[in-house]
Amino acid sequence: MTTISDTADQAQAPAPLTGRPDVNRRRMARLGWAFSAPALIFVAAVTIFPIVYSVIMSLSNVTVTGSGISLNGFTTSNYSLVLKNSTWHYALVFTIVYTFITVAVELVLGTMFALVLQRLTAGRGAMMALLLLPWSMITVINAELWLYIYNGVYGVADAILGDIGLGQPNILGTNLPAIAGLMIADIWKTTPFVAIIVLAGLVMLPGDIYEAAEVDGSSGWSTFWRITVPLLRPTLALAVLFRVLQAFGLFDLPFVMTNGGPGTATTSLAILGYKAMFQNLNFGTGAAVATTTAALVLIGCLISLRAFKVQVGREGN
Amino acid sequence: MARARSHRYARRITRTWQVGALVAVGALTAAGCSSSSSSSGTSATSSSTASVASGTSTAPGNATSGTINWWASPINTSGKDVRQVLISDFEKAYPNIKVTLTSAPTDTDTNRATLATDISGGSATPDVFMGDVIWPAQFGAHQLAVPLSNYLPTSYWTQFAPGLVQGATYQSKVYGSPLFEDQGFLYYRKDLLTKENLPVPTTWEQLQTEAEQLQKAGLVKYGYVWQGASYEGLTCNYMEYLGSAGGTATKADYSTATLDSAASIKAVTFMRSLVTSGVSPAAVTTFQEAQAMSTFASGQAAFLRNWDYAYADSQVAGTPTVGKVGVAPMPTFQGQTAPGYSNIGGWNLYINPHSKNIAADLTFIKFMASTQAQMALVTVSSSIPTVESVRTSPAVIAESPVLATVPKTKLIPRPAGTPNYPQLSTAIYQNVNAALSGSVSPSAAMSAAQSAANTALSSSAGGL
Repeated sequence: MTTISDTADQAQAPAPLTGRPDVNRRRMARLGWAFSAPALIFVAAVTIFPIVYSVIMSLSNVTVTGSGISLNGFTTSNYSLVLKNSTWHYALVFTIVYTFITVAVELVLGTMFALVLQRLTAGRGAMMALLLLPWSMITVINAELWLYIYNGVYGVADAILGDIGLGQPNILGTNLPAIAGLMIADIWKTTPFVAIIVLAGLVMLPGDIYEAAEVDGSSGWSTFWRITVPLLRPTLALAVLFRVLQAFGLFDLPFVMTNGGPGTATTSLAILGYKAMFQNLNFGTGAAVATTTAALVLIGCLISLRAFKVQVGREGN
Repeated sequence: MARARSHRYARRITRTWQVGALVAVGALTAAGCSSSSSSSGTSATSSSTASVASGTSTAPGNATSGTINWWASPINTSGKDVRQVLISDFEKAYPNIKVTLTSAPTDTDTNRATLATDISGGSATPDVFMGDVIWPAQFGAHQLAVPLSNYLPTSYWTQFAPGLVQGATYQSKVYGSPLFEDQGFLYYRKDLLTKENLPVPTTWEQLQTEAEQLQKAGLVKYGYVWQGASYEGLTCNYMEYLGSAGGTATKADYSTATLDSAASIKAVTFMRSLVTSGVSPAAVTTFQEAQAMSTFASGQAAFLRNWDYAYADSQVAGTPTVGKVGVAPMPTFQGQTAPGYSNIGGWNLYINPHSKNIAADLTFIKFMASTQAQMALVTVSSSIPTVESVRTSPAVIAESPVLATVPKTKLIPRPAGTPNYPQLSTAIYQNVNAALSGSVSPSAAMSAAQSAANTALSSSAGGL
């Protein structure tokens, strides 16, 4: 890919370090650590401490009182309680299925949009702006909009389905339609995001391969499958990584639209953790839900990266 | 040119990878941080639980100076803000006590979560907070509120309407002083009932047949709308049917649930029949107050179950229901004495255990139970007063049809005497909602509710 050397970047590269042989390497290293220390401390405070504390809390008997949160000794009961809970089982399956389906659909639709956008000659900017509207809106507002659309009394979705003879399905009040309804709202919002990432990947594909393919008489379909898709793999992996991370933390859509209902049909892991913590004030159990979810999402990301056979940082050189 | 640009893209994408890795870490943090955001103040705690006992118990509400931070969510949405009216009335009476208002989140759960994390983190503000009537056990058990009965005498508590103080009591200590009450009412379309020569229903069965008749006559699309979504409001609605059917949610000592009783199944079966008969729209299983209210106020339903504000909302200029709405106590089941039960809602005043001004806090709380403050709640925000003498005074009864109905109603609290009430309520509303949507039978739903509720009641360490 590096056919033209990037002179601009090289010119900017800081040369003085290597140019001064008298500089003590270790001193420079110490200086480097000193300069980065504030940032490192900051990262540790806002990232590492919360994660570690959350894990500790999930392994402790936590009591919340007016005089603070106290951790009274080690226990695995939070985890055994969570792992045995049938609502957690359901939420786990629901979250995984939800993530899998929405991410798959978004990937396919997003790639289709990106391919169309790439070929657009006029109005690409305007189209991209339009496409990005759902993505740029706050999810809670999106959820409120869809709540109107799905409303069982005056909602437009019910009216349309009624007009084509499907009756009034009471979308958010019935298990499967409620799940499908959330997925549609999610796909509507995040497909543009996938499209933009894929578009960025498409633009950087080398044109000469396509010219060669054309010369060799490759059909559009086989060019897509044999050239575009393999070359796009790192980009697709990135899009999937982002989306899996986000979809697995599914919270705002069901929080606004269904509160996890009907029954527990749309209860995601995040909703469950939130309820344990902030409704029931069971911080230990809530932390166990959060920790298991984080572990699972990590596994999910590793699996999706493996599926796309990429490692972060290895491509592009 | 195009090649060069695409190359810069490549570099940017590589950078995107690095950013991507950072974002991945960030997302994991987000997953973990929901638990830790609440813990940030752990080290800075433990300042003043002791001060509760030592501080000011000699002066139960007779302080005349100090500052108070009052945490309260909005009470009314139109006209003057009643919270400001109450504060200025108080400051006139006690010029040396300064009150600042912190407007709390309107969502009850967010409100509670914020308070619980602030107070357990050792925050000295707010001093006084307005909290839901279902909080006393949870806040009492977690020491997130001061036991007011340690300071205020029995004579203070007897001035309130029956049942309210009992609802604010946990393990024989009173944690909340009732500020204003709310309860379920049956709203009906006077014009439609007159057209068909029908009386105001006093039983659920009667309500159902009358609604069907009005629907058949083509006068209205839906018969009865209420709150059937999977949330706290459904527990309120369920308690009304349950009480009328002669059932209870738990044993009196909260040792076990009684949600699978015959009365409970009768209640849920009837609720489901409202949906299957078409009296209530199928979408009632997604209705909270706002959806039920808008369906009724747009003229599409003959009956509505809602809280006290619904009357005023149905009389806003331009609403199709102006001048056509009547208010009645909730119906009961056939064979029981009318009226049926109205569930108790409303708000109490609590004191933060870390407050530095408990004496002034008590003065404030006592003032809010005065006739002056209770009348301000009536005239400015049409709230239902909690002090019995104010509640039943002719001036209050003449104020609105809702306030005139209050003395005729029979009240039932939610089973909030356990610190695990949120889990208990979740067990109720999730399963009743599942039965309403038809995915399980009423008896299967209530036996699931029973076992989830028993888990909630038996677990001291907490559950999901």
